Amino acid sequence: MIKRQVPQDIGRIRSRAAHGVQAMRRAFRERSLDAAIVAICLIAVLSIGCSDLLTTKPPIGTRFDQPMEGLDNGELGDFQDGQEQFRRAFSIAEGLGPIFNNVSCASCHSGDGRGVPSNILTRFSRGSDLVLGEGGPQIQDRAIPGAEGERLPAGVDVSRRLPPPVFGVGLIEAVTDSTLLTNEDPGDSNADGISGRANWVTPPAFVPATEPGGGPGPRVGRFGRKAQVTSLLQQTVDAYHQDVGITSPQRPAENTNPLSSVVVPGLDPANDPEVGGQEVNDVMQYMRMLAPPAPGEMTARRAQGAAVFTAIRCGACHLPSLRTGAHEIEALADRDVPLYSDLLLHDLGDGLADNRPDGSADGREWRTAPLWGLRIAREFLNGQLFLLHDGRARSVEEAILFHGGEAAAVRDAFNALPAADREALLDYVESR
Amino acid sequence: MTGRAGLLKAIPRALVPLMVAAILGASPNWAAAATTRATPVADPFDPDRGGVAHGSEQGILWGGHGEIRLADDRVLGASDPEWFSIGRVNGFAGARLSAKWRLSGEGTWDRATDDFVLERAELTYRWKRSLQAHGGIFPAPLGRTNLRHDAPLNPLAEHSLVATQLIGVPNAMLGAGIRGVTRGAKPMSYEVDLVTGLSDGLLYESPGGTRLPFGRSNYGDNNGLPSIAARVAFHPRAGTEWGLAGQTGIYNETKIGGVTVDGNRWVHLLVADGVTRWFGLDLAAEAGVAFIDIPPGLIGLYAEDQWGASLEASRTLWDPLFGNWKSSALRVALRGDAVDLDRGLLGDSRHRVMASLNVHHRPYAIARFGWYYELRRDRFDNETPHAGVTFTAASYF
Repeated sequence: MIKRQVPQDIGRIRSRAAHGVQAMRRAFRERSLDAAIVAICLIAVLSIGCSDLLTTKPPIGTRFDQPMEGLDNGELGDFQDGQEQFRRAFSIAEGLGPIFNNVSCASCHSGDGRGVPSNILTRFSRGSDLVLGEGGPQIQDRAIPGAEGERLPAGVDVSRRLPPPVFGVGLIEAVTDSTLLTNEDPGDSNADGISGRANWVTPPAFVPATEPGGGPGPRVGRFGRKAQVTSLLQQTVDAYHQDVGITSPQRPAENTNPLSSVVVPGLDPANDPEVGGQEVNDVMQYMRMLAPPAPGEMTARRAQGAAVFTAIRCGACHLPSLRTGAHEIEALADRDVPLYSDLLLHDLGDGLADNRPDGSADGREWRTAPLWGLRIAREFLNGQLFLLHDGRARSVEEAILFHGGEAAAVRDAFNALPAADREALLDYVESR
Repeated sequence: MTGRAGLLKAIPRALVPLMVAAILGASPNWAAAATTRATPVADPFDPDRGGVAHGSEQGILWGGHGEIRLADDRVLGASDPEWFSIGRVNGFAGARLSAKWRLSGEGTWDRATDDFVLERAELTYRWKRSLQAHGGIFPAPLGRTNLRHDAPLNPLAEHSLVATQLIGVPNAMLGAGIRGVTRGAKPMSYEVDLVTGLSDGLLYESPGGTRLPFGRSNYGDNNGLPSIAARVAFHPRAGTEWGLAGQTGIYNETKIGGVTVDGNRWVHLLVADGVTRWFGLDLAAEAGVAFIDIPPGLIGLYAEDQWGASLEASRTLWDPLFGNWKSSALRVALRGDAVDLDRGLLGDSRHRVMASLNVHHRPYAIARFGWYYELRRDRFDNETPHAGVTFTAASYF
């Protein structure tokens, strides 16, 4: 017998059915929405592309930390090893200090470019006396706990210097002495008002004759604001020692504050030397193989600026190109180097004089600063620019206007230029 | 720069549709399936850990968890594939010695901090749920992540930057204290400890600036003066917890070779954290700030202030993922986090977004298909973009 359903049962069944339908609809809606989330995510990923989501390789010539083109695989491996050492920040336990300026090579050179005023280095001396007994030739104002940072003694000659860019130094190294000396004119024999002379420097004993810029006797200096350093090895060893407080086989004794009021043995817990010869060599090779950034596109205005650059004789010191000689790294050898410098000393007048001799350079002389890399310099300085040895110039125009001495005539010629020519010249220089 | 351009283009375009879709698609009714991560730590100090033990016999339990990682990490477009690595390995054991006494131990190696930490060697006396005394080595109560970070519970492959770079998860210390959880509909949990605190490793061992995780020292103190660590957390409703924690103490040793070389120097760390559920999303956030008294000779290079924060959202898409596999679930997770390792500088910071699609075998295991994009800024504020795709799998064993 079929049981007859009463109206209450039908209502309950209908209610249950309605709830079931609602639940199914809700589940369907929720799953549809979730499917939509997944679909939208997939579409987003596909539309953006994997390369943007996974970073992209910067074009060649757009950074300061890229290797030279033409390096072989072994050299590229050395470059990687050196980059790691260059960026290595030392802890106190690893030997930082006891007195120092910064914690790594990379901490002074922004993106391997120039430094900023907050990490400027202070060099001092009394005449040609480096006053080692008073903490010379460089102030290390920072110190690990227990040590005492150095303070500037009274009555010394002071020179504040921004850390220079480190790219392209291998190419500078590869320019032969004879090429540099060809451009010398110490007595201004051609009477053009521009002299230019090499800074003859005796390298330290730890730089062997096999090393470029090494060996006995004076050699042509080419590194540093006054071309006071002849070799990358010396530059590397002294930067470790003076700037980071790291001892090496070449400089195994800690740099300490001779005027410290506290003397606590064992401040620096690391054994000396704190880096080995391999690390020093790695950093040196890394710097050697750093490529200069590529110059910008030569527009019509820049071509006009280039012509003005030549016409008002900026290029008398800022030589657009130098030729390298033989070098063990093939990529550095026998090529034109667009560094816009003769790497010689010039008298730049009282305004820029630090009145502190360095090697055979006097207090008014400075090495012609290379102009390469200016195109992207601001990108690594938070949009700012710090030019000249102490960063006092915040633009190329300011830097030109600070020139004096041998460059006074060129500065005056720049001032006399029509506005369009000045702008074209500045555009050209800032595109190098 | 390339990195900035990449970020501006890639991240907003990737995140906006994902976030909008996740929020619009969320439903209050769709909250039933969550991982244990969403469960508030009502009693985070229970020696039974809330995790999954492999074995249990006669009052003794044991187990562990591990994580493997396969990744293609990239920096400025240069690929650095890591085809297999261990992300995390952990082992733990606990013993119920009596009705009131418990003994527990735990050790972890974590890839993010690249360090092995004895997380727990702890003796607990439990008067009642609201009052327990404990001593030994135990995780400092510095936020929820440090108290509970079993690999299979994490919806993303890495802990947040605030956890790894500021708090130093896993951060365990030698000490003693009390803790407990109050009863009621809205319980409150607390912990107050005297611990060894951070050591001068945060300066001496850390390269390139102040790094608190390098000051973790869970075997002893280097200055004989304890630090105070405490946390209080409120649980206004199921699935929600708001916590506030802090630690303060001296970190340095003032003598070298018997000669006093420096005065006492303090480090203060404050952490706020929370988890809740909102429109079908499981949300978790953690923020921390640190103040470090730096010796005068290091000021300017070593940070005096640091901060970090993270916000994480996750949601179940399918539960179960397969009809006959009832414990399976498919979830998505997204996290944005940042840490500023020196507030005195424009740079020395890290910002990151991570996303992950996870297959769960609850509560034992998880497989994650992840992506991250991170901008690291050096002390000059130069950006270097890092990114990668990852596959990680974590399981209790």
